[in-house]
Amino acid sequence: MAAASKLMSVRRDWRERDVRVVLAALIIAVATVATIALFASQLQRTLVSSASSFLAADRQLEAENGREIPGEWLTEAQSRGLETGRMVEFSTMVFGSGGFQLVSVKAVSDEYPLRGEIEVQDAADAPRKLVGSGPKPGEVWINPRLLRLLELNIGDSLEVGNLNLRVSGLLIREPDGGFRLSSLAPRIMIHADDVPSTGVIQEGSRVEYVYLFAGDDGALEGYYQWLQSRLEPSHEWEGVRDGETFSRSLERAESFLLLGGSLAVLLAAVAVAVASRQYALSQRDTVALLKTLGVRSRGIGKLYLRRLALWGLTGIVGGLLVALPLFWLLTRLLSNVLERPVEFYLDPAALAPALLTALVSLFAFAYPPIRRLRDVPAMRVLRSQPGEGGREALPDFAIAIIAVFGLVWLYAGELSLVAALLGGLVLLLGALGLLGWLLVATLRRVRGGGNAWRLALVGLYRHRRASLSQMAVFAMTLMLAATLVLVRSSLLDDWQAQLPPDAPNHFLINIAPDAVEEVSAFWQERGQPLNQQYPMVRGRLTELNGRPVKEAVSKDERVGALNRELNLTWMSTLPTDNEIIQGQWFDPGQTEGVSVEAELAERLGLSLGDRLTFTIGSEKVTESITSIRTVQWDSMRPNFYMAFPPEGGLTDMPATWITSFYLPTDKKTALNDFSRQFPTISVLEIDHIIDRIQQIVRQVTQAIEAILALILAAALVVMAAVVSATLRDRQREGALLRTLGGRQSLLVRSTMLEFALLGGFAGVLGVVAAEAAVWALQFRMFEGNFSWHWQVVLPVPLISAVVLALFGRWQLSPVLSVSPMLLLRRLE
Amino acid sequence: MTDFNAERRQTMLRVDNLTHRVSLETDTLTILQGVSLEINRGESVAIVGRSGSGKTTLLGLLAGLDTPSDGTVELDGSVISKLTEDERAKLRARRVGFVFQSFQLLPALTARENVMLPLELAGMESPEARARELLERVGLGERLNHTPRQLSGGEQQRVAIARAFASDPVILFADEPTGNLDNRTGQSVSDLLMELNREQGTTLVMVTHDEHLAARCGRQFHIEAGILTEPEAARELAD
Repeated sequence: MAAASKLMSVRRDWRERDVRVVLAALIIAVATVATIALFASQLQRTLVSSASSFLAADRQLEAENGREIPGEWLTEAQSRGLETGRMVEFSTMVFGSGGFQLVSVKAVSDEYPLRGEIEVQDAADAPRKLVGSGPKPGEVWINPRLLRLLELNIGDSLEVGNLNLRVSGLLIREPDGGFRLSSLAPRIMIHADDVPSTGVIQEGSRVEYVYLFAGDDGALEGYYQWLQSRLEPSHEWEGVRDGETFSRSLERAESFLLLGGSLAVLLAAVAVAVASRQYALSQRDTVALLKTLGVRSRGIGKLYLRRLALWGLTGIVGGLLVALPLFWLLTRLLSNVLERPVEFYLDPAALAPALLTALVSLFAFAYPPIRRLRDVPAMRVLRSQPGEGGREALPDFAIAIIAVFGLVWLYAGELSLVAALLGGLVLLLGALGLLGWLLVATLRRVRGGGNAWRLALVGLYRHRRASLSQMAVFAMTLMLAATLVLVRSSLLDDWQAQLPPDAPNHFLINIAPDAVEEVSAFWQERGQPLNQQYPMVRGRLTELNGRPVKEAVSKDERVGALNRELNLTWMSTLPTDNEIIQGQWFDPGQTEGVSVEAELAERLGLSLGDRLTFTIGSEKVTESITSIRTVQWDSMRPNFYMAFPPEGGLTDMPATWITSFYLPTDKKTALNDFSRQFPTISVLEIDHIIDRIQQIVRQVTQAIEAILALILAAALVVMAAVVSATLRDRQREGALLRTLGGRQSLLVRSTMLEFALLGGFAGVLGVVAAEAAVWALQFRMFEGNFSWHWQVVLPVPLISAVVLALFGRWQLSPVLSVSPMLLLRRLE
Repeated sequence: MTDFNAERRQTMLRVDNLTHRVSLETDTLTILQGVSLEINRGESVAIVGRSGSGKTTLLGLLAGLDTPSDGTVELDGSVISKLTEDERAKLRARRVGFVFQSFQLLPALTARENVMLPLELAGMESPEARARELLERVGLGERLNHTPRQLSGGEQQRVAIARAFASDPVILFADEPTGNLDNRTGQSVSDLLMELNREQGTTLVMVTHDEHLAARCGRQFHIEAGILTEPEAARELAD
């Protein structure tokens, strides 16, 4: 046994090409998965922290009931190691030398913002700068438009309630300046400690207290668990992922990264499986010899198991050695893209999938064929036995499939992803079976001749078993790579479509009915036509089917929409990005009914025909639900929960109008003219929010491209592993063909053609299966619609044909450069 | 002049002062030294020598599978060392047949497909009938669709012989054709080789260490340490 071990030493192992391929595959598997997992975790942390700045914290707690939260809630958060901050938002009149103006006040504590920075200007012509805290007590920062509206200068004093504050800066952008229609008036920012002295907040005032929390995920989650039972309906706990415009983009990016990681696992597994099977085949003679020398089956099993463990260790260590510099490079790339340093942080949790991948690849893919070496008969020494049939390999295949999909499931946590990939794979194998049958049926009629085409076709037919299994691996590899490319392009297209360069970036609010035409003409003249203008009536939903809504809807289901006034509108045509999912849109001339937004309807348990009563001022309006529709909240256009027909229940109610439009940066000065001409109309500038979202999209896109490149490299390695598995046979055949009089050029052409055909077929199969998988995935994960992606469908088979033809040529090179005599001897 | 041309037509293989060296890391090894010989059409010739004597290398050079360091090989009127690799391939495809010690059948191909291979390379339109005919001739008419793995060693060598004769070669090179076979099978394979050779009028050049097999050939050469001698010729000279 000791002798046998010596015979199979690692050094000797390393000299074997197949072992080198298994080890390379393992190293690549571990490296790819580790890099992706590390980078995905890093990216997520980076994204969350840059997205967190939209909240100016990691989490916000909003109290919309006008009361502060109990002090112990904050003490509890601090005792859990969380940073906290506080802000108060309310509207009030302010007085300057030039008059008075309704403003929206944001009073912030010293800690604000916990995440992100505030953009300010010291004077109207001073450069913009980023600062990490709000105004000091006694100071106020104001929206630049107030300078003119109130004829103020920097250093002047502004009267806020009972308090005079010195204007010390211009507020350009708040890190949490999310889009809220409630913030209609120009913004001023003061210190929270100044609020009591203003005397503005009285019992019953409309005021919103917002508390900021930041810290690690575990502490935040733990705190939320503690807090949950204490929250009242008017409290709203907001995380990055709740309701913000970009959150869907973030989730999709995460899904994509996980998908990428999962595909890397699959690819790596395929590479390990191919190489180890080849290794097992090459070991049969050695095993037979060992058995002849007296080693028992159990001994053989142990021997190979030990060796497998050694490979696993080499794979893990080698893989990590490759992954770490690669990850370092990616973080450099990321920090270049973000234009800020990104720390190089090795998340131990992110390394676990890599180790698991190595173990599973090894034991589900490499072990089965190697385990069967125990059964190699000693008789093989005397007489070569028939090779492994497909039947023996079937249970291996089943184990491998279960293992790898289990791994993907564990990794991506999405059963639908596993199902989609598995579905694509089944389709692929079915198509492959059919193609195999067709290949046999049609190509058997082709007879070889001196012509490269015929020789290539004959070659395909003759090697049909090897060709089909190679095609299966290529097609699967291509399917996985193409799936990723397709998902990537649909993801990016979606983002681009969601935020086209001319997406509306300004809102006009509070337009008086008689100013509607004039406002429209103002912007028309300046070449910036407005989108549709909508009337807006503010009202509360108070009754549902005649019962007070607070009784009719259970406490758990109460949503913010019930606690605040809703923006109601009337419209004759359905906005293009809305979609009716139940009932019917208003007929022309219809005066009754209301259309409700789908998510709200679901949360309140509303259905068609339910009667809703709204209180608008002192009036009550009751209408039945005639349709339920979906709304694109992130469309940057005015969106409404409730829509009435023109001439319907809202017509006589006091309304102001709202619209949105696109204004390029170089035309922003037009806003000054506009404000002068229409001082009562509020302009909501959301161009910076759009910039932020686009910046995030760009970051994620870069990351996705980097990961895609990694996966494509892994795919290429798998293909190389598969091609090199038949290297010896191919070279022997090449040498023999040359001996028998085959010209070099004929050999080269026919081999390249044969591989090109193989690659072409595999490409077509892979792409079709990928389209199917993507179609299934998009339904669940990415919410897109199915369409053929010609930009991928056409080039993939072509590229795969060319790449494989080159692989084929590469295989042949030793056959061409050495005398056939020498090669035949060497390969004997 | 006429006589000279007639003689040229008679000569199938003419080797003049053939030397072959291979470079090793430290020095150069001479494998063949000053080999000269002439083989006429239809002759059967055995080259006998021990392992490592250089006989297989000589066979490769004679068949144009490799080029010599010095000297010339003229095969059926063509000087091999002056031909390009593709021209040599063309020559092999049309005029040369091979039988190897380890059969060199392609494992993925059936017996029939293996025999069809040289016919296809030569661009023959319907090689199947010829392959079937030859396999029947070597007694494997029932095993056309068997792959090499399903055939015994003797059967595999029969397939190889059928393949060697498939393209009607003018000269056949055999490298230890019975080396991997037991006595009895070896005997029947060599019988078949001799028979077919006679039937087709092919020139046979066989490398072997088996004296009995060599004795069945018309002429014998001995090779030792890269030097070729023809014992009978030497005896005649002595006589």
